[in-house]
Amino acid sequence: MIEIKNLHAQVGGIEILKGINLKINAGEVHAIMGPNGSGKSTLAKVIAGHPDYEVTKGEIIYDVNFKKINILELAPEERAREGIFMAFQYPVEIPGVNTSVFLRAAFNEICKHQGAEEMDPIDFDLYIRKKMKLLNMDDKFITRPVNVDFSGGEKKRNEILQMAVLNPRFSVLDETDSGLDIDSMRIVADGVNKLKTKDNATLLITHYQRLLNYIVPDYVHILRHGKIIKSQGKELALEVEEKGYDWLS
Amino acid sequence: MFQTHGIPTVKNEEWKYTSLEPLEKNIFELVKDNKLADRSALFEYCNPQEINIVFVNGIFSADLSNLKNIPSGIIHCPLQEAVAKDLPKIKEFLTKYDPSQKTPFAALNEALNSDGLYIRADQNTACKELIHIVHVTSASRRNSASMPRTLMVLEKSSEATVLESHLSFDDKAVYFANALTDIFLDENATLHYCKSQKESQNAFHIGQTRVWQERNSNFDGFSFMAGGALTRNDLDVVINGEGASANLNALYNMSTTQHVDNHTSVDHRVPNGTSNQLYKGILNQAARGVFNGKIFVRPVAQKTNSYQLNKNLLLGKDCRVDTKPQLEIFADDVKCTHGATIGQLDEDQMFYLQTRCIPSKIARRMLAQGFVDDLFSKIKNESIHHKLDKLVQPSFQALE
Repeated sequence: MIEIKNLHAQVGGIEILKGINLKINAGEVHAIMGPNGSGKSTLAKVIAGHPDYEVTKGEIIYDVNFKKINILELAPEERAREGIFMAFQYPVEIPGVNTSVFLRAAFNEICKHQGAEEMDPIDFDLYIRKKMKLLNMDDKFITRPVNVDFSGGEKKRNEILQMAVLNPRFSVLDETDSGLDIDSMRIVADGVNKLKTKDNATLLITHYQRLLNYIVPDYVHILRHGKIIKSQGKELALEVEEKGYDWLS
Repeated sequence: MFQTHGIPTVKNEEWKYTSLEPLEKNIFELVKDNKLADRSALFEYCNPQEINIVFVNGIFSADLSNLKNIPSGIIHCPLQEAVAKDLPKIKEFLTKYDPSQKTPFAALNEALNSDGLYIRADQNTACKELIHIVHVTSASRRNSASMPRTLMVLEKSSEATVLESHLSFDDKAVYFANALTDIFLDENATLHYCKSQKESQNAFHIGQTRVWQERNSNFDGFSFMAGGALTRNDLDVVINGEGASANLNALYNMSTTQHVDNHTSVDHRVPNGTSNQLYKGILNQAARGVFNGKIFVRPVAQKTNSYQLNKNLLLGKDCRVDTKPQLEIFADDVKCTHGATIGQLDEDQMFYLQTRCIPSKIARRMLAQGFVDDLFSKIKNESIHHKLDKLVQPSFQALE
């Protein structure tokens, strides 16, 4: 579904990603682990198209309607419309913008892109309430401004709600588990598991093995100094948890 | 007084960022007729079912007003008549201010206005209906001048909601509107007051609103400014009774080469007063904004809580803002904070919306609208909220 080839990226003139290669097929869950500063979040932001990150080499090839396109040539909103989603490590607060208005605007952009009819506010309300049940969310939630005065757990749940609403094909979850208590993490993990199908794929970026007890990956990759230094099955996460990263280098 | 001092220049600290030269270049004439050619435009903005007190070119129009739903307990009459009859609080109120502090434009208004409005809520009156005072300038005359003048008295434990609108339906009309509004809040009175200014793009609007507050009264104020080539908007509040609170919220939304200068002054003269100021500006193209916010806390005014924030969103390449807080605090047991921000749209917010499929053009609109809605959510009256929303919408649609 998506293939990252020899990806080099820098921010503010400092090279962070130094040749990433990664191939993910439909139906797979991959996890990337690595110490602080290894480039995990940079990879997520480059995939999503953050303007501060400059790709100096390589490409990200993504399957769209049986065609292969390099998504680095697309604006962030174009990538999103093609089904690429990133759950933010630090979801952004947007005062004055109502969550439900925001979600409907996003959803209708996808409808427009797919040539489908836009959903009116009443139908959308029903649609979103179903999705909110999936994540044990309070009805009041969507009447509040986006992420404003949300707790850490609510912000992360809101990210997964957006994922549920937009129904992406490829999702990158950037440290969605960090800062969550065990109950919130379970709810978030349950939500992600319910959204999993044979046609979509997920890339989990995490610090901790804990999340991977709940969302079981098919592959675990270790990122260090901007390169993937080891790839293996899910048992690699346990090994890292036990021994740290130093034995790998 | 106006004759002695004339039009202030930028050498006057109070007018440092606003040159009145363009005003001075014109000769304006007071107009005697109150005919309005375009009634439909007026009633598109005003709801004819609501209480409307309409002035055209500064002169009351019974024809355009709707006074039939004014509840008992709300008394209104021409200000000149109220002064002649010495109606309650008139003399008491008009002598409260130090004449030496009077601005030249307030003096000009007092000298030239011929048809002011006196409106009073009697003790314990709770008026739920919106009272809409409309000052419209008709385009029939060139270079007209009008002197809108309102005096509002809220007696003990009364409550009212008032919208005072200043507008024109011809965006090319050149005129000068010099408005003066006085508000007196007696003990435990509450006023929800909004001033909405959408004058012609070529108009000069100079306005001063003075608020006097007694014990436990509440002033819930909102200023909206979107019109005028040159606008000066002063809001001066005196907290003269313990436990009184004042909210001064404002939005100025300007583009092209419009200039808006906001001055606020909150004078805490007694202990245990509260004031909150939130002035927000959106400037586009080559518009220019000024915010000057004064807070005085007198030596006796202990336990004062005073907060001031000025936030500016600059969307145009050539726009500019000068913001100046001015705190003079002479009591030691007070909480006063102030701040100002000037910035463009937040890049993180833009990126966040884009990753959710929203194109940058729509994202910009959403964020600008959010900047406004965050503030509009403080307006409790739905009719006012709706009217302001309609006035501000075109500027979002124009965002690229």
